[in-house]
Amino acid sequence: MGVLSWILTNFWALLVVALAGVVGSRIAWRVRKYGATREEFSYVLRRSPFYLVVLTFCFFAIAPFLIMFLHTFKTDGDLYRRPQPFVFRQEPTIEHLDALFNNTAYLDFIRNSIVVGVAVVIITLVLSLPAAYALARLTGRWGERAGILMFLVYLVPPTLLFIPMFRIVVLLGLKDSPMSLIVVYPSFTVPFSMWLLQGFFKAVPPELEEAALVDGYNRVGAFLRVVLPLSLPGIISTVVFTFTLTLHEFIYGLVFIANTSQRTLSVGVPTELILGDVYFWQPLLAAALIIAIPVGLAYNLFLDSLVQGFTMGAVKG
Amino acid sequence: MSLVQIRGLKKHFDTVRAVDGVDLDIDEGEFLVILGPSGCGKTTLMRMIAGLEKPTAGAISIGGADVTALPPRMRGVSMVFQSYALYPHMNVFNNIAFPLRAQRREKKLDKRAIREKVVNTAGALEIDMLLDRRPRQLSGGQRQRVAIARAMVTQPAVLLLDEPLSNLDAKLRANARDELKDFQRSSNITAVFVTHDQIEAMGLGDRIVVMSEGKIQQIGSPQHIYDDPANEFVATFLGSPSMNMLSVDGHRMGFRPEHFLPKTLNDKPDNSRVFHYYVKRVEYLGSDRLIYGYIQGHDHALTLAKVPSNVRAALDVEGDYQFAVHNNDIKYFDKRTGLRIQPVKAH
Repeated sequence: MGVLSWILTNFWALLVVALAGVVGSRIAWRVRKYGATREEFSYVLRRSPFYLVVLTFCFFAIAPFLIMFLHTFKTDGDLYRRPQPFVFRQEPTIEHLDALFNNTAYLDFIRNSIVVGVAVVIITLVLSLPAAYALARLTGRWGERAGILMFLVYLVPPTLLFIPMFRIVVLLGLKDSPMSLIVVYPSFTVPFSMWLLQGFFKAVPPELEEAALVDGYNRVGAFLRVVLPLSLPGIISTVVFTFTLTLHEFIYGLVFIANTSQRTLSVGVPTELILGDVYFWQPLLAAALIIAIPVGLAYNLFLDSLVQGFTMGAVKG
Repeated sequence: MSLVQIRGLKKHFDTVRAVDGVDLDIDEGEFLVILGPSGCGKTTLMRMIAGLEKPTAGAISIGGADVTALPPRMRGVSMVFQSYALYPHMNVFNNIAFPLRAQRREKKLDKRAIREKVVNTAGALEIDMLLDRRPRQLSGGQRQRVAIARAMVTQPAVLLLDEPLSNLDAKLRANARDELKDFQRSSNITAVFVTHDQIEAMGLGDRIVVMSEGKIQQIGSPQHIYDDPANEFVATFLGSPSMNMLSVDGHRMGFRPEHFLPKTLNDKPDNSRVFHYYVKRVEYLGSDRLIYGYIQGHDHALTLAKVPSNVRAALDVEGDYQFAVHNNDIKYFDKRTGLRIQPVKAH
């Protein structure tokens, strides 16, 4: 606790030192490489404003996450006195983090969310890969119409569907179990993934498949050996997207499962940490931040192929 | 018996008759070129031989077996696509090995046998130093060789080539044509080559099939279809510039620009037809002079003459000249059907 508390209370000083260290070592590296000449000096001066602007934007981009991080460790007194997001006026504490993990079912929520997410991703891929392929290659009028029709299904909001869906879930005997979400979530993830994947499949030239057919494979073989590997970026971004869709779905999760330990993150965290009009800010922010970081990293990793997927669907869909 | 037999083959797309009743025999070891303008059905015909397109009617047999209903993989054919269709996610070795791996069970090929075949085929096409590269790291000519190697590695009964030279630049194309022909001769494979380029067709084909509007217009050796066209379409489609056509005595009369020469250069004046020719413009093309003008009495039909540059004839001025064509070089066609008819005696 000592080290963490020291880091948090001296947060600003540390940030400035770290930045100065990065900039200084970069300049030192340039000086060692090109020598401390007049040109080098003017080069550094010339480029500095650009990096200053970049740093400013970076700060605005990460500020919400910084605030979430810092608030997690604030005492109630410090948090509620007068908003001062970046300064600790009282000693930092980990009691809220401790409460989140030990007094709530946060770990259960995480486990349920991962189980539901992974299962839904698998079901979605199994259903939407062949469907999207069929739509991409059914180039006639009806293929296109069928594609649009299926996308329309995605546009029917869960707020309209949750009551009939609830009846079905009860009929299936899945009430109060994450299984209910695994059954229902594909109703919106499949149309969406299909639409996304269709764009990627359309970008694979039909000639490549025909070459595989002549080379000795049947349709399935050609699909597995040529189309799938070539649309791998698209499939990965579909996986990431589908997983996030399940992660932030709220209404089905709220209605189908009344049992706290069976709930997912998106429902469990707000229902457990907001009681009436009382917000338990510190654990709430911590819970959101902890789950946001891996998702953010995954998005960052696949950003290019995600963007490519969306624009491809847009242009060729 | 021919290796490939095509009988009454038809393919209709909605109202379009892409291929409209084709009968064709392809002999073993021959280089057959299917030539025609774009949209004549030549690619559709080839895709039906490959099995990529289902015929509306008719039958195809390869090596005596009816393959009309068989999928491509069971026909013993391979194909080089216009875009080459190399698998971008595999290196050259895996591209060439791809069809072998598909057949490794029925042909009992192990890893060693596959490697050996790939290396041998790549060696024959002089691409054995490129085996580790990805298709995008190759030049156009190299890609074409990889595509041919992939098609050849399984030793197919028939090699289908869909305009494989059209993506190469002009210089490379002549070279690739020569190599392709050499390779076909030495491997003695049966090749069907689709193109719209008559120079390619004339240069490569043992026989040429001229197609138009889904039908075969004529089949024959390059010289045969050039000198002895069966109808007006074949006559005007082949040759650059194309054959001059005039309407004379209720028939269509045609002669090639290179046969239309100044009367002074004609060596058989008693067996020639003489025209009064008004020269409008002369283009100097290096080896030839291309002359634009009109024949007296046919003012609406631009008539061209192609005179070799080494022939000294004073033609550079606009005006009236006397030109002549050997009677043997004049072809007559029926006005209505376009079919070739016997020479009409001059009255």
